[in-house]
Formats: sequence, C-alpha cells, structure tokens
Amino acid sequence: MPATDQDWASAYARQALSDLDAREKLESTGAHKCHRLHFLQMAAEKLCKAYLTTSNGHNKVRKTHAYVERNLPLIARNFYRATNSGRILAWEISEIRKIARQIEVLAPACDDGGTRQDNSEYPWEDAQGNVRVPSEYNFPNLDDGPANKAIVKLIRLIRTAADAYV
Amino acid sequence: MRSIAKKTKEETAETLAKIHYANEPNLKHIHLLEPVNEEDPRDPIKLLEVVEGTLERWIEPIAFPADPARGIEYPVLIVEVSPKEYLAIKNDTNGLEQHGWSLGKELLAN
Repeated sequence: MPATDQDWASAYARQALSDLDAREKLESTGAHKCHRLHFLQMAAEKLCKAYLTTSNGHNKVRKTHAYVERNLPLIARNFYRATNSGRILAWEISEIRKIARQIEVLAPACDDGGTRQDNSEYPWEDAQGNVRVPSEYNFPNLDDGPANKAIVKLIRLIRTAADAYV
Repeated sequence: MRSIAKKTKEETAETLAKIHYANEPNLKHIHLLEPVNEEDPRDPIKLLEVVEGTLERWIEPIAFPADPARGIEYPVLIVEVSPKEYLAIKNDTNGLEQHGWSLGKELLAN
C-alpha cells in the first residue's frame, strides 16, 4: 500500500522535531551560529511541508522550495486559534513573518532573486568579491540570541504544530 | 589598567528580564530558576517566564547562547509558561524538581 499524505505529514513533523532537538544540543556545545540557524531553518521548512502535505497532498509540495515565509504566519494563526489558552497578537505575527523571511533565505536554494547569497551551508561571494564562510559570518539579519523573544515563540510554535502532525 | 568586572549571572538575568519586559506586552512574571551556579560560566542562566496567551507546553526549556553584545555573557535557558501553568508550578514543585530546579527570586520590569 503506498504511503498516504498523513504518513508524509507525520514524517516531516517528526524530522522537524528532531531538527529542533539538534539545535538544542548544539547550543550547549558552543557551535557556530550558522549551525544553529541551519537546524532552525530545516525545522521550519519541514513543519511547513507537514502543513502543506496535509492541506494539498504530498505530490504537490515535495518539489517546492520557498514556503517558510508564506506559511509560518498561517500556521501560527491556525495553531494559536486552535488552542484554548493560546492567543497571538498582531505584533507577534509580524515578528514571526520577519523571522520566517530571514529563515527562508538561509537555504542555499533561496537567494531572494540573487540578492541574498548568504546562507547557513555553503561559502558565497559577497558584493565586494570576498568569499564568505558561513561559520565565520554573524548573520546580522537574524538575531537568534536570548534577547529575542520572537525566537522563543517560533520554536514553541514549531514544536506545537509538529506535535499535532505527528 | 583597571579591569572591568563581569556581571554576575543574577545581574545578567536582571538585564535580560528588563529587555524581555520591554518587548513583550503579555509577559506577566519572570523568575530566576535555581540553582544559579556562578562558578561555572558554561552553566546557563535559567528563566521561567509567564506569558499570557502562550501555547501551553508545560516545562520545556529552550536554549540560547551567550550574547555579549547585549550584555548577556552566559548561555540562557528560557522556560515559557501560561499563567495557568505558573499556578500549577507554584502549587506543585515536582515539575521543576524533575529538572533539578526550584523557583527563585522574581525579576521585575524596573
């Protein structure tokens, strides 16, 4: 019997949770920021795939690359609305949308029309002709430090939504 | 040359709490979670944050690296809970004890 959309959604969700676990483990080892962001990006991407697989079917989403920016805010609205206690404010959705955009361009395949070569995996050449290395770059557009509570909201959202698809 | 003393973890937690209160309107309380190990800089500061409207996930820490540019020179664990979960934690400390923690002093916005 072929795998169902539910099988695929659950698989993406389980991998998203594992990616977040990997991010947590990296935090305690002093890993470079690019690695933390890489696992955050992968978790967000797989959650979006779980969401889209459930709504559109696996065949329609598996070749898609850029969906984090568009879908994370939708997932946030859906999951906060679905809980008894959860209530998301407009500024929180706005923060999630901003982070989602920055997360999306971390993937090497998503370079924002050639304007964003910085990514969490491969070296790239900047506008001055310098080769930049992810592990030596501080990703100034994405603050994943403890002062940024939007990261807490994002991680809790990914965990909650992924749990629902598992 | 005069050396500049590094902030303690408790002082750092107070700094971070002020940043969070300033940026999160639904943040109702922040507690330092004990023990606070001032001797080991790798041991994270642990904060329990009570946020109205948050998704309820019980005691689930999220790890962060130090951020010296903002005056946060130690790693941080943030546990975000709802007001309902906060009451449950205050009434039954088993949840925190399972992580080896207890509720410490409340950190204020001002």
